[in-house]
Amino acid sequence: MKQFFLRASLGLLLGAATIIAAPALAADVVELKQPNAAKVVVMLRFNNGSASDPKGKEGLAYLTSQLVTEGGTKELTAAQLKDLLYPMAARYGARTDKEVTTYTFEFHRDFIDKFYPVLKGLMLTPSFTQEDFARLKSNQLNYVEQVIRASSDEDYSKFALEDQLFRGTRYQHMTRGTAAGVRSITLDDVKQFYAKAYGKNNLTIGITGNYPESFVQKLKKDMDALPTASIKPEVPKLSPTKGVHVEIVSKPDALGSAVYAGFPIETTRGKDDFAALMVANSYLGEHRKSYGKLYDKIRTTRSMNYGDYSYIEWYEAGGNNMLPVPGVPRHANYASIWLRPVQIAEGLRKQYPTELGDLKVGHAPFALRLALREMDGLVKNGMTKENFELTRTFLRSYTKLYGLTPAKQLGFLLDSKFYGRKDWLSELDGQLAKLTLDDVNKAIKKYWQVQNMYVTVVTDDSEAQPLADVLKNNTPSPMSYAKVVREGLPKEVVAEDAQVASFKVNVTDVKVVDTKDTFK
Amino acid sequence: MKQTFRALCVAVAMLAAGAPAAQAQQAAATSTAAFPYAIEQSQLPNGLKVVTVPYASPGLASVFLVVRAGSRDEVEAGKTGFAHFFEHVMFRGTDKYSKEQYDEVLKSLGASANANTSLDRTVYHMTGNARMLEKMFEVEADRFQNLKYSEHDFKTEAGAVKGEYTKNSASLYTQLNEKVSDAAFDQHTYEHTTMGFFKDVVDMPNQYEYSKVFFDRFYRPEYTTLLVVGDVKAADVNRLAQQYFSLWKRGSYVPNMKQEAEQTAPRYVHIQNANFPPMLSLSYKGPAFSDQSKDLPALDILMTMLFAENSDLYQQLVVKEQKVRFVGGSPNMTRDPHLTSIRASVVKAEDIPYVKQRIVQALEDAKTKPLDAKKLADTKSALKYGNLMDLDAPDNIANTLAQFIWLTGDVQSVNRYPALYDQVTAQDIQAAAKKYFVPEHLTVGTIGPKDTGGVQ
Repeated sequence: MKQFFLRASLGLLLGAATIIAAPALAADVVELKQPNAAKVVVMLRFNNGSASDPKGKEGLAYLTSQLVTEGGTKELTAAQLKDLLYPMAARYGARTDKEVTTYTFEFHRDFIDKFYPVLKGLMLTPSFTQEDFARLKSNQLNYVEQVIRASSDEDYSKFALEDQLFRGTRYQHMTRGTAAGVRSITLDDVKQFYAKAYGKNNLTIGITGNYPESFVQKLKKDMDALPTASIKPEVPKLSPTKGVHVEIVSKPDALGSAVYAGFPIETTRGKDDFAALMVANSYLGEHRKSYGKLYDKIRTTRSMNYGDYSYIEWYEAGGNNMLPVPGVPRHANYASIWLRPVQIAEGLRKQYPTELGDLKVGHAPFALRLALREMDGLVKNGMTKENFELTRTFLRSYTKLYGLTPAKQLGFLLDSKFYGRKDWLSELDGQLAKLTLDDVNKAIKKYWQVQNMYVTVVTDDSEAQPLADVLKNNTPSPMSYAKVVREGLPKEVVAEDAQVASFKVNVTDVKVVDTKDTFK
Repeated sequence: MKQTFRALCVAVAMLAAGAPAAQAQQAAATSTAAFPYAIEQSQLPNGLKVVTVPYASPGLASVFLVVRAGSRDEVEAGKTGFAHFFEHVMFRGTDKYSKEQYDEVLKSLGASANANTSLDRTVYHMTGNARMLEKMFEVEADRFQNLKYSEHDFKTEAGAVKGEYTKNSASLYTQLNEKVSDAAFDQHTYEHTTMGFFKDVVDMPNQYEYSKVFFDRFYRPEYTTLLVVGDVKAADVNRLAQQYFSLWKRGSYVPNMKQEAEQTAPRYVHIQNANFPPMLSLSYKGPAFSDQSKDLPALDILMTMLFAENSDLYQQLVVKEQKVRFVGGSPNMTRDPHLTSIRASVVKAEDIPYVKQRIVQALEDAKTKPLDAKKLADTKSALKYGNLMDLDAPDNIANTLAQFIWLTGDVQSVNRYPALYDQVTAQDIQAAAKKYFVPEHLTVGTIGPKDTGGVQ
């Protein structure tokens, strides 16, 4: 809404934002002026990320970006710089994804002149001290080796799925890298990567807020001093997999089974049929919305977990974000299903000893079957006209919330460029408006299927093997309700449960992996 | 600077509630600058407060219903976690709009809508098309007055809440947070997190009758503020509030809160885990929120100063010695006295005693050593600008206002409280340090490879 409104009112309303695509000199510039804003946001987007990590140095792009933002400059040590910035409450940081790294600087307009030398110094003459390097490398290694395994099993299952789905490609490792990769990084590697990866030729400058024109000119001119980048991310070309491949990560003391499943698809925001697939995806499993089919059937009706969603592109930090965030555009794409942790047998046995005392496996196989069956139903039958209309109406309004803050709008504009579009968010409304039910059902048939995919489950060590056996042998997995819920179930639900319990999943292999052996 | 924010976020997330949906109480970093937008407030005869803040977000508005009932109000044994559970139940429908119909309306609105619960409140929020304001009011007024759910639906929802507990429990920080609260409080309901004790979560399917009592007590106009921020006019908001909420009947329930007795000796809790970064948390009994007292602003300024990236402590522990990965701390903004907590992620578990000694020393120094005047002014500036920069979207603004609404019941606290920061002197800060960093009022939490944290 906002984006569209602002564009439509260009020049008419005082204080409205205007999008200006300046002619390309060296770096491209995307501007989103907000003359009434209190702050200025500068984003420097470089087209290199973790898929640009050299082999054996997985985690280098991430560490380099951290070192740039956490260190000092030629003029100021990190400590001096922090003293200078302290009263300004300026914020800056880097987000590294597979193919891009974005440096974001946010500061109040009162400090535009005081803050700018810091921005310039960090980007052009970062200090790269041994002291900062040692500290940040240790923190990164600690994340890869310990934190990810014991803080969010949901994030864990997502990174583990990418490890499986992109195996053998430069997309395989987490942006923070692998344990061996991070260990092998030297300060010299960081300096070299900085020189090769961040250049004026692969930079897009984004700027929004309240700033004078002279500021843009200065920024552009100064960033022209960056070298020419000589490396590019290696984008995987995935061939379709055959069968359903399951990896179960076994860890001690997990209360539930966190499930993530996915398969490659060859569409992105750059293609026109992406909007059609968005409608189908929103209907099946809109992120954090109770009206997705997966959520409705798994959580609302059967009370199995906290939520269940589907995706057609990477969704950053889904456990924290209600709306998508920019800064994670990717050319290699996959569709996925996210089932938040469901109960394991051990927990159910404890809660209902008399009713479920001899239960062998928890809810994961049933939940997975149900989700795949829903997706399969859409592939076979398509959406109805009514659901298509309602979901499209929803999306035409909802996607206008993606750019609630100026900084988010700017981020989506930078992402648009990545996909070869000018302003994807406002173009999207027109694409959605033109869609027909047929377009959507064609996109479903073209991109979705349930026969071939990867599945990752992070679960308790007591659950891992029994779960592996059920999946490997395609043993029926009837839903094990507590009596209090079973008693009041409508007949349709009971009938559907019987179908789900024996829904055939095309499992070809199942592997149990010890948590200690992940992300090595 | 980024590190500070990250450390603070971790501290905040660990401290209070414990889950994204059972969202953490925000730390007291809220503001030292006057709120920059006009606030229009009115009240219906039934007690419902209506707050409108017009903001230039063309075509968009945020509608919040702030209910001043949270896990703090769970005064009865066996009912912990109920405020949060009830937040889930509120999505189960009415006679007019079944669960499915309510979903359909929400979907047609294209809004981002959800709810979250914390220690002191439950917040229901929608951000979407400002032209659909009337429909938003209609469905919200309907469920707040006419919620109706079957026993089966109620029991079913209990499974989702257990699922949420399961999801959150994967984090050792959540687990430590639970233990610290339980140890620090004996009488007050802050002893349990917003998610509740696990035994009570497991028992929820059996509490259908109690759930009706809960709704009857707290989902009342005198507990609630309706807040709208965005592309709206106060006259329209007030007219719609009158139209849809005026028949809502006032209640009479007031929870009988127990005061926490003074703590007389330090307390210790520990989680043994060899495969997780060692952690030290120091939680002192802190003040309740007030927009009249300088205690909380003084503590906020002091802790910002002590743990900022340019502080001596941070530079020594994190940058030079590299014994600590991050350290941060802040007082909590809560209705009753809660905890003022400091957390450090320690590189090697054997350094936990040293890190504790260094932090405690810094707190002791704050009681006696004169404060640098420039540092004090800089810290006030940092807090002021930090807050001003966040007010750039209707939902952000509504979240900021909601906090003051649940803390005092009066949105104007958003102007009164920051004004206190300007008055804080070096003497106030020393006095606050002496008053609150009392060794006997401390609860120490640790995560480490051995069977104790080694600091007792």
